[in-house]
Amino acid sequence: MAVSAEVIPRRPTLLFIVVLSLLFILMSLSSKTRILGETRTLFERTVMTIFSPVPKAVNWVGGTTSDMFHGYLDMRRSVNENLDLHRKVAALTTENLKLRQSATEMRRLRGLLGYSEQFNLQTSMAQAIMLDTSGRFKSIIIDRGSSDGIEVNDAVVNANGLIGRVVLTTKDMAKIQLITDSNAAVGALVERTRRQGVIRGDGAGAAEMNDVPSLADIVPGDRVLTAGIDGIYPKGIPIGVVVKADKGSNLFKDIIVKPSVDVGSIEEVIIIHTRKIPDNVVRYTP
Amino acid sequence: MRWLRYAIGLLIALTLHSLLDSFFPNALAFFNPYVILVVYYAMGGNIFGAIIAGVIAGLVQDAFSSSMFGLHAFSLTVCAYIVAYINSRLSLRGTFAFGACLAGAVVVNELVIYILVNILLRQRIEMFEQGLLVKTIFTLMFGMFVYQLLALFLREETVEATRFS
Repeated sequence: MAVSAEVIPRRPTLLFIVVLSLLFILMSLSSKTRILGETRTLFERTVMTIFSPVPKAVNWVGGTTSDMFHGYLDMRRSVNENLDLHRKVAALTTENLKLRQSATEMRRLRGLLGYSEQFNLQTSMAQAIMLDTSGRFKSIIIDRGSSDGIEVNDAVVNANGLIGRVVLTTKDMAKIQLITDSNAAVGALVERTRRQGVIRGDGAGAAEMNDVPSLADIVPGDRVLTAGIDGIYPKGIPIGVVVKADKGSNLFKDIIVKPSVDVGSIEEVIIIHTRKIPDNVVRYTP
Repeated sequence: MRWLRYAIGLLIALTLHSLLDSFFPNALAFFNPYVILVVYYAMGGNIFGAIIAGVIAGLVQDAFSSSMFGLHAFSLTVCAYIVAYINSRLSLRGTFAFGACLAGAVVVNELVIYILVNILLRQRIEMFEQGLLVKTIFTLMFGMFVYQLLALFLREETVEATRFS
């Protein structure tokens, strides 16, 4: 049906007026319900219900995104924290190792100190600073010398037993000849039978006990101590253990002694300032 | 097609509303996505459609706002009617025309709200002039941006408006 142009403009205007009137009534109603405490009208609730999925979805997406973002941040923080902790663990492990080393060193030094107190002679402690056990001549260098009262022929020991003797001194260093040196000789005795002999280094990390008659009662496992008869080493310092005691081809036994000191692991040493026998007494012959 | 666009636009406006409420509370005091939607629809020149679009958009805004229910519906309907009426007469097209309509609609919308709040609640809106200025600028900027996007990606429909000579 054809509608004249005069009528058409009035219809939207009419609708506009009707809609505005209805909305005004709605507003008035809404303002009254708010005053009465009912904050939402039925119509308002209906509109909200229809469109509520949108804010819910937005909140869900926002919440999930926020969670993911915070999760990512937390993860980054955790990774950094983990790296920090790894660094700390590494630092603490190093520190722990150092402390363990210090504790071990302290125990060793205490052992040495206790051992040195057994002697009635004056003692000094020193640190091995150079070790030469590769050649035939076995020696170590220590960080104490004549200025510390160290003299040639002072005995050198550690908590395990005899190491050797001082053969050379400078002001602040001294050279020690080890008992495994092929030129070293120590007056020794077997602890069990008190049989005496002379320990000589074989230049290869062990020592031989010479001048022991073939009939002497010496068996592997016997402990060998210093005899205190050579004018250098005090009596009773452990030298080593007999590992081989065969009847020799001549009048003496072939005895191999394993030194009680591992020359490859010498760190701290005790220098025993032995009382030296004057030359004239040594050389005096009645 | 235009109603489908309107429905999608309404959902986007509501989404923006919810987002802004969640992350930037009070942001809607400076920006109104519903006005953009209504003006965009009313630019078609269909007065009937514009009135309905204004009412629906306003009711949705009211439902998720703390103001009187019907306040925004009233103001947006007024805006929609005016814009649609002008467009049915002048057939305005283009970004600047849209911007001018949008700026006018924001001002009208705020003025209507101001008057209604004064009449019905007997309250004064604090810093109304400053708020109006800021809201106009931000809504205009965002609206022009949206209009440009729509012009780029959507073919502008033929005017559905009832033409009167």
